[in-house]
Amino acid sequence: MSSKKQAIDRYSVISFIICLFIAPLFLRNNYWLHVLGITGINIILVSSLHTIRSTGEISMGTGGFMALGAYTSALLAMKVGLCFWLTMLLAGILCAAVAVILGYPFMRTKGIYFSILTLVTGEVFRLIAWYYRSLTGGSVGLSGIPGPNPITIPGITTIMFDTKVDYYYLILVIALLSLLILFRLQTSQVGFVWSTIRETDHLAASVGINVLQYKIFAFGIGSFFTGIAGALFAHFMHLLAADATGKFGMTTSIYILIYMVFGGEGKFMGPVIGAFILTILPETFRAMKEYQPVIFGALVILIVFFIPQGIIALPDRILLWRRRKKTS
Amino acid sequence: MFEISKEVLLQSIINGLVLGWIYVLMALGLSLILSITSILQFAHGEVYMLGAYIVYYLSVISGINFFVAIFISVALMAVLGLLLERFFFRPLRGEFLPPMIVALGLMILLQSGVTVGFGINPKSIPSFAPGSIKILGTMIGVDRAVAAGISIALALLLFLFLKISKYGLALTAASQHREASILQGIGPDRMSALAMAVGSALAATGGALMGAILVLNPFMGSTALIKGLIIIVLGGMGSLFGGVVGGIILGLIDGVILVVFGPVAASVAPLLLVAVILVIKPQGLFGHEF
Repeated sequence: MSSKKQAIDRYSVISFIICLFIAPLFLRNNYWLHVLGITGINIILVSSLHTIRSTGEISMGTGGFMALGAYTSALLAMKVGLCFWLTMLLAGILCAAVAVILGYPFMRTKGIYFSILTLVTGEVFRLIAWYYRSLTGGSVGLSGIPGPNPITIPGITTIMFDTKVDYYYLILVIALLSLLILFRLQTSQVGFVWSTIRETDHLAASVGINVLQYKIFAFGIGSFFTGIAGALFAHFMHLLAADATGKFGMTTSIYILIYMVFGGEGKFMGPVIGAFILTILPETFRAMKEYQPVIFGALVILIVFFIPQGIIALPDRILLWRRRKKTS
Repeated sequence: MFEISKEVLLQSIINGLVLGWIYVLMALGLSLILSITSILQFAHGEVYMLGAYIVYYLSVISGINFFVAIFISVALMAVLGLLLERFFFRPLRGEFLPPMIVALGLMILLQSGVTVGFGINPKSIPSFAPGSIKILGTMIGVDRAVAAGISIALALLLFLFLKISKYGLALTAASQHREASILQGIGPDRMSALAMAVGSALAATGGALMGAILVLNPFMGSTALIKGLIIIVLGGMGSLFGGVVGGIILGLIDGVILVVFGPVAASVAPLLLVAVILVIKPQGLFGHEF
């Protein structure tokens, strides 16, 4: 039963990925490609949050770390003139380094206090971008961020990045790669240690696991991919601004957390599905833009009370409910 | 660097401290709720914002006296706190993530609800005490002085309540050790309700005072929430006295560092300070073990 179910899961994931690859053939609309691009970035963000969560902690600084990655990559590309592939990597590495340095004091706290600290950190990063006018453009924002450099595959073709379709494929490939790496990490030895720490950190420490180090490592990895997502966002939008209600504010950190819980944090694919549904769905109700957050807030509360395991547990729950009905 | 005169600096410190004291009300409420229910009330900023909006509608639109309007608003928000506790937080108490998500959902719901209902444009409550007085050689608006006075009085009142009255002692006990306090016959449901009511009332007062000094908009709650959280983090988490000290530190940072080193340094300073404090003393300045 279990292996059969695993096979079904694997086939559904593979067929879904194939669907994503051929999607641009049917979507001639740039708007939807843009939405899908943002969805991909959100998926990287939610998976990196899920990685940090696998040690039991919740980071609420996603927006801030994303800002750090985005501005690092954009400024390196604009002021220093490095190519996109390098700046993206450097943005990720800088975010990871900052997370490790901050993780050392922060990981001494746990639970809600870690969340508060990361929330404050995220907001501080945004405020730096907002106030440091000479570097980041402040309230005017940073515009004219170059796109990725073309890739030349010798003898075959040169991939230019000038249409939305190219960007879509770029984000798709990077998102899939990130997911693969994070999935391998979570199912590796390290991943098991993380879940041990999540279950009982005192017991883990008593059998000789360096809890602090593993937690900092998870925070660093998560922040690395958050930085990558931020860099992608910067070069995808070509424009950055750090206002409170924008992409780098507290709102993003909150929404990414909600995507994770909505999808279900029990499984690796849960948060991904949550981010996918909750980024695409509001776009189909664009006519009622004003009421969107109201509905969103209400939906979130309902989900917590009625399907606490998230959307991914829905099929199991329906199955259980039908079985119970049959027996009674 | 350009020279900063002593008067400007003093003025700025006093302004920072006044606003810091209003944010202390926010932090005390948050901290009280957090230590009793272990829930971080993200919608606390929205309670603060709603408190300000109710005062605006009562005093500006209906023409009721400002202080009477504050009383009504505080009472209403205390009831809102009770309702939130009863229907949203009580069923989820003892868990970590679900109450947090519900609080975030409430935050989004209330914030966008107010945006839809009352409009996104900033509103302002006319100053309840025009004019200014001279303190330590600097001019300060009477309304600001009164607001700081009210905040200090309320913080003192909260301390007296927690140290002297029966219910206050019960709250302190519940925040120190949940199980032991239950064994002493202190009902956890009642304590959570009390904490939410008192916390929400404090937030509403803070919101109304801030609304009279600055302006109202649907997003004012987020700013206040962040300031409140910075105060909690600075002063040591889980300690009420730490909250007051944190407020004063934040006020000084906003007063001194903002003027001397500029806004970038002023926004980084709390984070650096917290990181240093946590390295030296992992419990925070006045905090207890986690």
